[in-house]
Amino acid sequence: MLKITAEELKVIAQYIHEICGISLDQSKSYLFETRLGSIAEELGCKSYRELYDKARRDPAKKIERQIIDAISTNETLFFRDTSPFDLLKHKIIPEIIDARTPNTPQLKTNVKIWSSASSTGQELYSIAMTLHELLGTQIKNFNFKLLGTDISDTAVKQASYGKYNKFEIERGLPRQTLQKHFTLFGDTWKVKDELRGMVNFRKFNLMLPFTGLGKFDIIFCRNVAIYFTLQDRKKLFNKIADSLADDGYLIIGSTESLTGICSRFVPKRHLRAIFYQKK
Amino acid sequence: MNNLTILVVDDDPVIKRLLGQRLVKEDYTVLLAEDGYKAEKILKENHVDVVLTDLMMPGEISGIEVIDIAKDLDRNIEVILITAHSSVDTAVEAMKKGAADYLEKPINFTELFLRLEKIDTMRSVLRSAEDLRQAMDVTETNAAETIQNLEIAAGDLQQKLDAIESILIDDETDSHSRVTEALNILLN
Ligand SMILES: C[S@@+](CC[C@H](N)C(=O)[O-])C[C@H]1O[C@@H](n2cnc3c(N)ncnc32)[C@H](O)[C@@H]1O
Repeated sequence: MLKITAEELKVIAQYIHEICGISLDQSKSYLFETRLGSIAEELGCKSYRELYDKARRDPAKKIERQIIDAISTNETLFFRDTSPFDLLKHKIIPEIIDARTPNTPQLKTNVKIWSSASSTGQELYSIAMTLHELLGTQIKNFNFKLLGTDISDTAVKQASYGKYNKFEIERGLPRQTLQKHFTLFGDTWKVKDELRGMVNFRKFNLMLPFTGLGKFDIIFCRNVAIYFTLQDRKKLFNKIADSLADDGYLIIGSTESLTGICSRFVPKRHLRAIFYQKK
Repeated sequence: MNNLTILVVDDDPVIKRLLGQRLVKEDYTVLLAEDGYKAEKILKENHVDVVLTDLMMPGEISGIEVIDIAKDLDRNIEVILITAHSSVDTAVEAMKKGAADYLEKPINFTELFLRLEKIDTMRSVLRSAEDLRQAMDVTETNAAETIQNLEIAAGDLQQKLDAIESILIDDETDSHSRVTEALNILLN
């Protein structure tokens, strides 16, 4: 495996931070080597400096995308941590439906939900399945807008296909839910159209200004800010506060905290889960 | 020291016995069945790590069906097929169904033992990965609980501080009652 020099480490870490906000520990050179070594070799680069120069000069930004894919951790699960989905089902969804139901019965209730680092889609599909489970056939009387975004093209693509292998399926999905919402093709499971039709996925970099996204009623921002610097986390949650409805709900990862990061949110506990609302 | 339990399925009693003896000599635990039907019965009653089955067998259950039966009972069971040279295509088909490998007749024992060793290594790697994952789950659950409690405690403190700030800042009230009120909040 190609060895990285201290000089290259600095340049590459800086570059990675610039393209996706991920802040890597520079004392762990093996991390850079194991993740970027094969890209460098594949492109015939004799050093990481050469890889960096190539990436910078690549007008199609293909190398940049490859680097982001190699660096980012896409690890996710259907119904990861379970408690946020129980929280959705028993508290947040009923409350938001209550708050959003228009006085004119002809109008549909609009609810906008955002999975802001959706990876390969499991989080957003879990939200969609939770809605189905809670509302049953009544679901057609509501207007849910479910958006999933991620910086990784490959992850967004897989989420859009809604195709999962047996390892991705086996973890976290109860048998019944699986039968209800997925169809087996050969050895991959595909999300049924009914569920697929509820969601949208697209590429979005959380480091950029949140323009054109509008306001959301519920935002999931789980297990992504952990890769950012404190300063970037502060900026991120400030932007999230701006994009959240005044009575909206924010859910972060089970081992994450907003203490010292964003004072615009108040933590609240329900059952065994925490959610945040604006002050 | 080999920890694998191997089920040998073959309708030819000579081959079955020979296979069984060689495996026992290598310290594997061995179970024998002469057809798919018996194999199913044994699989249901015993823990088996590897099934070594003939592809072509008389009777109702073929080697391919043995794969399905084994995988249905326990998806971690590995199946190695034994085939005649002429049925290699079928063997490839069987690998798509989940067979781990196939061996052509006549059986080369060195090759067989190599495959079994590979399966054994693979299993211990998987086992330690699973152990690690479980350990991580425990750590994560614990950390999450601690963080939740701290988060709520910090939130409560912040609320108190905010309330105290708004009391102290309010110059409509005289300073003595402001301090009293602030202390009240602090001590509650
Ligand atoms: C560990 S996954 C979390 C997935 C899911 N939210 C969960 O909790 O299971 C982290 C994801 O964040 C994405 N990511 C990293 N930096 C990002 C950025 N700047 N903007 C958007 N997504 C980013 C990665 O591509 C990856 O898919």
